[in-house]
Amino acid sequence: MRILIVEDEKPFAYILKKGLEEEGYAVDVAYNGEDGLFMAANEPSDVIILDIMLPGVDGMTILKTIRRAGVKTPVMMLTAMDTLADKVTGLDGGADEYMTKPVLFEELLARIRALLRRASDTKTSVIEIDGLSIDMATHGVKIDGKDVALSAKEYALLEYMALNRNRVLTRISLSEHLYGHDFDLDSNIIDVFINRLRNKLESGSGRRLIHTMRGAGYVLKG
Amino acid sequence: MLSSIKAKIIIFYMGVFFLALSTLGAVLYFSIGKIVYDSVDASLLSRARALSVLINDNISESGSRASFDFSEDITREYGLNAGVFFQIRLPDGTIVKKSNSLGGSELPADSEGGGAVFETAFLNGVPVRLINYRMAVEYATGAGKGHVAGGRRAGLIVQCAEEIRGQLKLLRSYRIILVGSIVFIMFASASGGLLIAGKALAPVKDISDTVSRISEANLSERIKTEGIPGELAALASSFNRTFDSLDMLFRRQKQFAADASHELKVPLSVILSHSEIMLRRERTSAEYREAFKAVMEAAKMMSETVSKLLASARLSGERTELRLEDINPADLVCEAAGLLGPVAGRAGIRINGPERVAGRIRGDRAMLMELFFNLLDNSIKYNVSGGTVDISVRNETDFVVTEIKDTGIGIPENDLGRVFDRFYRVDKSRSRDTGGAGLGLSICDLIVKLHGGRIDIKSAPGSGTAVSVYLKRAPDDAEA
Repeated sequence: MRILIVEDEKPFAYILKKGLEEEGYAVDVAYNGEDGLFMAANEPSDVIILDIMLPGVDGMTILKTIRRAGVKTPVMMLTAMDTLADKVTGLDGGADEYMTKPVLFEELLARIRALLRRASDTKTSVIEIDGLSIDMATHGVKIDGKDVALSAKEYALLEYMALNRNRVLTRISLSEHLYGHDFDLDSNIIDVFINRLRNKLESGSGRRLIHTMRGAGYVLKG
Repeated sequence: MLSSIKAKIIIFYMGVFFLALSTLGAVLYFSIGKIVYDSVDASLLSRARALSVLINDNISESGSRASFDFSEDITREYGLNAGVFFQIRLPDGTIVKKSNSLGGSELPADSEGGGAVFETAFLNGVPVRLINYRMAVEYATGAGKGHVAGGRRAGLIVQCAEEIRGQLKLLRSYRIILVGSIVFIMFASASGGLLIAGKALAPVKDISDTVSRISEANLSERIKTEGIPGELAALASSFNRTFDSLDMLFRRQKQFAADASHELKVPLSVILSHSEIMLRRERTSAEYREAFKAVMEAAKMMSETVSKLLASARLSGERTELRLEDINPADLVCEAAGLLGPVAGRAGIRINGPERVAGRIRGDRAMLMELFFNLLDNSIKYNVSGGTVDISVRNETDFVVTEIKDTGIGIPENDLGRVFDRFYRVDKSRSRDTGGAGLGLSICDLIVKLHGGRIDIKSAPGSGTAVSVYLKRAPDDAEA
């Protein structure tokens, strides 16, 4: 899952990025409005966290511009502007979530998860696929009731595939959603992670969960 | 209710009406009464006179007593009608003759007095009008006018009376009609007054309704001034003016609170997120150090904002005490420039001037120091590398003018009017790269205003900013 933070308060953006990366998210940061607008329109983010008062282009303009351009990425406004009018303007302007500073990180995480679920049409934080259960709140993964230990990146890959289950995902798109744009990685790294996941999930149970679509990519299905 | 204007108007109105109507009623009643009595009295008098003429006509003397003879037809004639009576008394009260109509009763004895005396009396419980007519007796024989009954002057009392039951009844009905009309008119006028007072006071009610609807949450509503009578229009518009200034005050207060909370929320969110995220797992000491540094910076920012807020609140308070002393602005701005020298040096900015100028002002040294320090700090902060800050001081007739001119980024024209507002920043992002909460210039403005001076700002984007501080010259400072 890849998150774009558009925030001019550098120490805040920094710690947010750090906290989110520790949760397994890939994070990009834009420190001003112009960069924010460009990245929101062009980077394949899964959630955009958007401040309103920004140098250059303000957050509301960014929001309206990308919505007009057809970008459907869930947007969470995260701002110190806390009046009812601000919230209404933000939500009506196309935001999916409006949070005011100061925000508790736990809540921010829960709301990001909710946004991701909503985007993939999943109702609860636990996804079940043929004996595989993924708890997005605790990052706990079980296969037939038995815990499976995954690294942060392995988990992130699995979660992304689970949220987009039954859909064929290319190596490029997987790596884009797993890593921020600072990483210019060979998409073969995805093959390595896929192999590790298969070992941990399928070897014990003999199930096929991750299917290779030759020439196209991978799909998670029961 | 009794304290309301409406009730007072009605009570006053009714009081005046009552007084006027009852006076009129009394006058009417008594004049009618007089007319009625006068007509009765006139007929009684003429009857008494007639009797006296008849008596004189046939008086005779017998022994020591005068006697007269009333023919029965006279008695009959003047006492025929029931309700009409007469009676003749001697001066000592003895009844000599009375009309048949009196029967067994008699008319009451007269009170003292001469000529004709009228009174109202009761005869067997029936009201009568009575005349006591004293007549002189002329003797038909003997020595003409003489003495009757032992040497006293001769005289008889002719008493005529007439029942006035009918007249009294008339007066009573007249009284009832009068009182009835007065009561009716009073009620009619009271309800009329109520109507008029209600109409006259309707705009007052409108005004009070509007005023009570207007509250802190709804300060934008105003009293409608059209259709309100002139006397109240002045009241309404002065109310509206008060609401205008209250509205502005509340708005400013709200804006201030919103801005202040925003200024504190940004660093607060840095502190909170760092603490929370750091505590989620074990960290290396380098990570902790980094987090603490960020937290400290944010806390410093908050502390600066808070102290500036306090300073600003203190300066705009009702009583701000100035410790006045003689100050040479040129010296003071020089001192401030000296303090900022290293900062300017690091930023690659040269500070020029000022030349020594002798003008003196009366002012608070610490406040004016803060003023110049803030202005110079801005002219360095918003300058470009290699730029300059030129300070000059000149004397005008009433003011010592200190001008600080930079070659910085300047201020767009539509921001110029608001740079003295608290928290107003030209850069809306409130990015902290240049620091400051947007309180510096508002504090400068407050300080200068407390000293009875003013600040002028001239600026254009890209061509720098010139700030002129006008401070009043000390009264004893000689014209330079």
